[in-house]
Amino acid sequence: MVKVGGQNIPWYEKMTVADLLNDINDPYNYVVVRINNKYISRPDFKKTLVPNNCQVFLIPMISGG
Amino acid sequence: MTELKMTEVKTIRYKKPDIVKGYANQTLHINISDAAVSIKPVTKKMKEVFIGGKGFDLWLLWNAVKPDTKWNSPENEICIASGPLGGTPVYPGSGKSIVTTISPTTGSVIDSNVGGYFGPYLKFAGFDALEVQGKASGNVVIFIDGIDEKIQGLETTGLPGNSYETSAVLTKHFGGEKPRTISVVSTGTGAKHTLIGCLNFSWYDSKRKQTRYKQAGRGGIGTVFADKGIKAVVVRWDTVTVNTNNPAEKEALKEVARMHSREIVELDPKQNEMAKIGTTHLVTIMNDHDLLPTNNFKYGRHPEASNLGQEVYRLIFDKGFDGCWMGCTVACSHGVRNFVPLTGPSSGRKVFVDGPEYETIAGCGSNLGIFDPHFVIEMNFYCDTYGLDTISVGTGIAFAMECFETGIINETHTGGLDISFGNRLTALTLVHQMAEGKGFGQVVGQGIRKMKEIFNKEYGADKAVMEDIGMESKGLEFSEYMTKESLAQQGGYGLALKGPQHDEAWLIFLDMVHNFMPTFEKKAEALHWFPMFRTWFSLCGLCKLPWNDIIPEDNKDTPEPAKVMKHVKWYADYFAAVTGRHTDPDDIILMSEAVYNFQRIFNLKMGFGRRSHDKIPYRAVGPVTEDEYESRIKRYDKQLVEQHKVDISGRSTKEKVAILRKLREKQYNKLTDAVYRRRGWTSNGIPSVETVKRLGIDFPEVLDLIESHEG
Repeated sequence: MVKVGGQNIPWYEKMTVADLLNDINDPYNYVVVRINNKYISRPDFKKTLVPNNCQVFLIPMISGG
Repeated sequence: MTELKMTEVKTIRYKKPDIVKGYANQTLHINISDAAVSIKPVTKKMKEVFIGGKGFDLWLLWNAVKPDTKWNSPENEICIASGPLGGTPVYPGSGKSIVTTISPTTGSVIDSNVGGYFGPYLKFAGFDALEVQGKASGNVVIFIDGIDEKIQGLETTGLPGNSYETSAVLTKHFGGEKPRTISVVSTGTGAKHTLIGCLNFSWYDSKRKQTRYKQAGRGGIGTVFADKGIKAVVVRWDTVTVNTNNPAEKEALKEVARMHSREIVELDPKQNEMAKIGTTHLVTIMNDHDLLPTNNFKYGRHPEASNLGQEVYRLIFDKGFDGCWMGCTVACSHGVRNFVPLTGPSSGRKVFVDGPEYETIAGCGSNLGIFDPHFVIEMNFYCDTYGLDTISVGTGIAFAMECFETGIINETHTGGLDISFGNRLTALTLVHQMAEGKGFGQVVGQGIRKMKEIFNKEYGADKAVMEDIGMESKGLEFSEYMTKESLAQQGGYGLALKGPQHDEAWLIFLDMVHNFMPTFEKKAEALHWFPMFRTWFSLCGLCKLPWNDIIPEDNKDTPEPAKVMKHVKWYADYFAAVTGRHTDPDDIILMSEAVYNFQRIFNLKMGFGRRSHDKIPYRAVGPVTEDEYESRIKRYDKQLVEQHKVDISGRSTKEKVAILRKLREKQYNKLTDAVYRRRGWTSNGIPSVETVKRLGIDFPEVLDLIESHEG
């Protein structure tokens, strides 16, 4: 299972961040997500695997400076 | 160490006024040339038009200086103010001070928004703003005592040269058993010997039992302070509660403060964890998006960037509450305990370092081609305690390093120093030289604009190349974001009032990732409202972070997600609850617009503020060099072919660089036109008569200035 917000999402082999966002049907353009304490940026969503039993935070980042 | 001695020059007694709806309704003027002290009333008109904070500072400074006033003229002032909401302990981010002066590097008005307890304590001691004018013989301490209701000018001997120790000594001296009642503004020897000095604003961290610091960094305010012969300004105040501002509607204030505060407590751990890692998360995010300045903004990423990221600093930061104002739940002001510098006067001694934040990491780390987290902490420590702005130091050294690597300057100019990218030791040597006022460090400490003049006149360097790669505009060094791929952020920097600092407009993600502004008109619209919201925080004595760095979970489903309107509504309610002035979200824009346009006209008064002053170096717009182009060749080729319909077959890289440059510079000019139109400015970037009348800033001197530039 992967915990996203208050939801538990079934995990599967080779699940990427992009797959996860697709599975939860959230079309928002996230700049970054956090898997436990590690930040994953949008350019890396398709190549970053989501580990089983992790917590994913969707960060609706619009500012920075 | 020499024994600390203080000799009273002058003491005046005053009657502290009651704070009414967030205002003390008077300001304090001190001329240190003759130790003259006067107290001025705050008029109804001042509050209506200028609101407070930066608005008050600008009005006071406008009335103090003439068009030919220079940064080191005696009549130049340092103005410090809180704002009507400043000093509220229950609303996150409500402890800011706003500082203005005529800058040594830009020649025009500069402003800086800084944490620490000074601004709120100043207000509660009876003054919405402080003006310090004149020049003293040196070593003056100004003490504003809101508890005993007295203002003192003191001649001192025995104070340390550096800022950290000066503030700690004065906190102990004036605070005794109650150090939390003291806030100190001070600077160090670096400010005296360069043009890029900063001010440290202190607060006392009761849990760690030590003085802590935040910096008013930009534009050399610390240099003006040192030039005036001031060692420190100290303010003393007692307990702060929600009642201290005497808000118009206390229950409404507590309710809106509770909502925002709780939201941050709930959402920050799910989002950027600023209460644990500050702004260090930005390092890897910027790197991943090719936005992390590397080697003087030439590149936007580096394989070693994660060495400077949150995963490292999370382990290094001292654990505990780190709010730079009481009760702030963002609490992002982290520090490093028991750090041991390897160089300089504190070499081998354990010190506490306040920071680093993202800007310092990028400026003094990646932009110098250095990816060592402990090196960045050492740079942070010495810049702060010497009173140097880490952004100008970083961006300035980066420029010098590129000049060195490209042969524009060489070791005969640097005093034998190898200042190529990645050289940690010489970067630190330059900082120590800045503090001592000697060597090549002193040249770098003049800032990029002056460096370009020196390199050209004294070393025969090519002016055009330096104009392209010297990352300054209006005389201010760029803060630490790459803007090549965000036209909106090029405008965010180039069309900012004081120069390229991100506190006015930060639009990179809204532009590049969210694509909220695909047209020139939409970019111009964002370059209208974003700076207005940001300006408002500095009018009120607030921090900008709670607005749009921690986002409501349902924000993306709202009609205007870019503006985070839920928070804007809370801020309007907050303003109304403290001041009693009915406030809608649209009023926030109007309040800021008046002050914003006034500041633009202030630039005009000082001989700037026109289109020619809004230029940015081409390095901020596109690739200057062939290797820079080739490092992102797919991207640039694609843009030329698909976006601009250019046939690039058979073109050399040099030719493609030239074609792309022409296209991108044209886009920046089109954006400038669109922004000026949206702001109600002429094509020369001057607010129109109609605009100043609409905003109620049509004072005779303002109209005269505009009319003298018409046609």
